Amino acid sequence: MFRRGFEDMWTRHRGLIVLALFCLLAAATGSQLWGAPIARSADEGQTLFEQRCVACHTIGGGKLVGPDLKGVTARRDRAWLVRFISAPDQVLAQKDPIATQLLQEYGNVPMPNLGLTNEQVTAIITYLGGTAGGAAAPAGQAAAQPMGAGDPVIGKDLFIGSIRFQNGGPPCMACHSIAGIGALGGGALGPDLTGAFGKFGDTGINSVLATLPFPTMNPIFGKALLTADEQASLKAFFQAASVAERPAEAVGQLSILAVVGAAILILIAHLFFSRRLAQVRRPMVSSRRLSAISHQPPAVSSQRPTRR
Amino acid sequence: MIDLALFVAFPYVAVILAIVVGLYRYYTDRFSYSSLSSQFLENRTLFWGSVPFHYGILVILLAHLLALLFPGLWSSLIGAQARLYVLEVTGLALALMAIVGMALLFIRRLNNQRVLMVTSTIDWIFLVVLLAQILLGFWVALFFRWGSDWYLHTAVPWLISLATLSPQAQYVSVLPFIVKLHMLGGFLIIALFPFTRLVHFVTFPITYFWRPYQVVIWNRRVRAGVEVKK
Repeated sequence: MFRRGFEDMWTRHRGLIVLALFCLLAAATGSQLWGAPIARSADEGQTLFEQRCVACHTIGGGKLVGPDLKGVTARRDRAWLVRFISAPDQVLAQKDPIATQLLQEYGNVPMPNLGLTNEQVTAIITYLGGTAGGAAAPAGQAAAQPMGAGDPVIGKDLFIGSIRFQNGGPPCMACHSIAGIGALGGGALGPDLTGAFGKFGDTGINSVLATLPFPTMNPIFGKALLTADEQASLKAFFQAASVAERPAEAVGQLSILAVVGAAILILIAHLFFSRRLAQVRRPMVSSRRLSAISHQPPAVSSQRPTRR
Repeated sequence: MIDLALFVAFPYVAVILAIVVGLYRYYTDRFSYSSLSSQFLENRTLFWGSVPFHYGILVILLAHLLALLFPGLWSSLIGAQARLYVLEVTGLALALMAIVGMALLFIRRLNNQRVLMVTSTIDWIFLVVLLAQILLGFWVALFFRWGSDWYLHTAVPWLISLATLSPQAQYVSVLPFIVKLHMLGGFLIIALFPFTRLVHFVTFPITYFWRPYQVVIWNRRVRAGVEVKK
């Protein structure tokens, strides 16, 4: 009886509902495709390179975190370049010999998957193989910027968010943990940054902080890059943190706290609500039952009923 | 392309489905707009399940909503490390409370013959989806901390972009699989909502806040203090 009404509606109007769903799906997908920005510009490759690649690569400016890409289109097969730039993580996972060798050569710092579309990858390869491949192209602009000495204390405040980033980016701690902050550490969505300074090295850290070239961070920091001062302070903090004491792993502590908290809350709920039915309905029901069985007058209402 | 389907088309479909089918059901089958309470059939296990579940889930839902509607306020709230820790631990405890409550309700529905009788297929499907969603949320909060912070910079811009009809899936399409599953689970629940007894969610008696606190109903009509004789 309970399920009748709604299943009736489904049986009677199945066609209408399915049609409506289909139209919605088509409309939603269509509107999105129509509005999607697709890389068509001839300068797209250069723009992308300056936004996404210069943190780790130069063209004719020497090694940074990753290799100098001058003449890379001659060195490597085009199909390999497309595969590697599109999804370096997958190529590495397949134990590709070139990728594995590069990984070892560059201090085991893997290239992140930048989440580029096929069009963007093509644009970058076109740029790398074109004028830029031959002529002396801009060296890593971000990396080339001089960086003053930063204050690790300010760096820590920026990391945990007690000082906000000037351009509005979220504090590092939302997603990253690091040695030397709070009892439960920082976030765990992104990697722990305790060893970041050692991993990327002095130049690498400069580049990474300047461009934050990771797929998760890109949409967030794309319009909110760190200022030069903030970069310097964070770098100083990372350097200090690389030798600081690690906070304990937070998952265990959090689990225990959650169990204790839940137990307390359930107890409170019980104390608060347990008598809500005991006062009126249950005494009435049980007294009616008693009188029905024994044909005697109802039980005295002040008496606490026994629980079933 | 798959990201567009999952993080743009699917949310729109889910919301429109919730509104259209919800209204349709309201105008064609109003009597079914209810939680179809089984309290009358069994109420002792119900108490231990229902109270922790509802208080846990409602506060957590409210927190998701509050952070979405007032990201600035939320951001200052969790701005200090101690407050962030307290908030996160409270959230985890509430989630656990909801999970315990829901597990009890699940067991009750399976074991109590009378309650089992009034449970339909869609109830079971929905119960499993809801339990999975809460478990996923707990998982995300525990292993991808601090969700109360990064939520503001991933899910919130994505949801705002959906609401302003300029969808941008890239805020969430790069997140870990489990996190994406939780986000999609939310929209799956919105899509299923009008087909299930969760519709009782919108029948919350909010008018109780301003209705007269005492309603007097007379058996016989009284006019100006004089009893009217029939």
